[in-house]
Amino acid sequence: MSVGFQAVQWNRKKLFYDGILLAAVALFIGTYMTVGALRKPPADMPAWINLRINAFGTCAFVMLTIILMIGPAARLDSRFLPLLYNRRHFGVLTFIVALVHAVSVVDWFSAVGAMGDLLTEMTNNPKYMQFIGFPMKALGLFGLTVMFLLAATSHDFWLAFLTPRIWKALHMALYVAYGVLVMHVALGVMQEDRRIFIPILLGASFAAVTLLHVAAAWRERETRAKSDGWIAVGPPETIPDKCALIVTAADGERIAVFRDGGQIGALTNLCAHQNGPLGEGRIIDGCVTCPWHGYQYRLEDGCAPPPFTEKLATYRVRLRNGVIEVDSTPLPPGTKAAITLPA
Amino acid sequence: MTRGHRRFHRMLWPVLAVLVALGFTMALALRPPPEPPVQAEPQK
Repeated sequence: MSVGFQAVQWNRKKLFYDGILLAAVALFIGTYMTVGALRKPPADMPAWINLRINAFGTCAFVMLTIILMIGPAARLDSRFLPLLYNRRHFGVLTFIVALVHAVSVVDWFSAVGAMGDLLTEMTNNPKYMQFIGFPMKALGLFGLTVMFLLAATSHDFWLAFLTPRIWKALHMALYVAYGVLVMHVALGVMQEDRRIFIPILLGASFAAVTLLHVAAAWRERETRAKSDGWIAVGPPETIPDKCALIVTAADGERIAVFRDGGQIGALTNLCAHQNGPLGEGRIIDGCVTCPWHGYQYRLEDGCAPPPFTEKLATYRVRLRNGVIEVDSTPLPPGTKAAITLPA
Repeated sequence: MTRGHRRFHRMLWPVLAVLVALGFTMALALRPPPEPPVQAEPQK
């Protein structure tokens, strides 16, 4: 790894990103509450709390929808990658907004003197066996619990402690939380408020997340290996200098094909440190550099420069009819496999 | 994301998407009808 590289640690860009994120959330909630209060001025304190519940709930749902769209959007267009690198802060802020929504619900029951009703609704409710009328607050609480687990374990400490394999598996629970929260809205506000824009917005959000995932999966399918195991990457000049194109083998393994001037090499897309996406990194000081924590590897053999000892699997590369092709069978970590293009 | 995660992810989200789409459609179709508008009491 490199000593001073801090691509995704606290830096100026990250602070700028967080500033924009906070401003956008404040603008959304401020606008929602102002317009809501102007359209129907709240008569009393519970009415004000109700407006706050709606504003924070809507904001948290929109944020969660955007979070789930970032992954496939970044696979379809690399301009979305900066959002991908900052997604954890987005997730933590979403949990905080959702928490304010949940606390406001408790606040409302307290304001109208019905805390007992809330407890009964959550614990002793015969409607748990029904579809329409199912206690939607229980769905919201489940979603909030998952979001808390993910926010609490979002720091790199937990990534290292739990190991990348378990951490990533745990964080896929966000999909389950999203599904449950769609139903929280569908069985909650969509039942109480019959205005048409609620099912339209909810359905459109869900459809956007689904369609983006389908589109990204379809794009990946197009780059799979041919029957002889070699994958066509494209003419050398289509690989941006000091950067990579990512291709996918038939078994789903991603391969990062880098170009450093006239040298072409292929490495596994998984960094040896925390499975970071190497192919989204760049060649810095002659080494492929992971965008997450700056771990570095030589392009020719996938070995970290001395004194570091990490090694990556490499892949054979060839130039055929002016097109770069990569063999989808990995070579043992540290095997020399890069080629130099004819001058 | 490792190959195992990707395989799990590829299996998880379509199943979830179908379940949620089904749940959403049912929730929309089974919504209780709107309450009839309150009519003014006829004058005696």
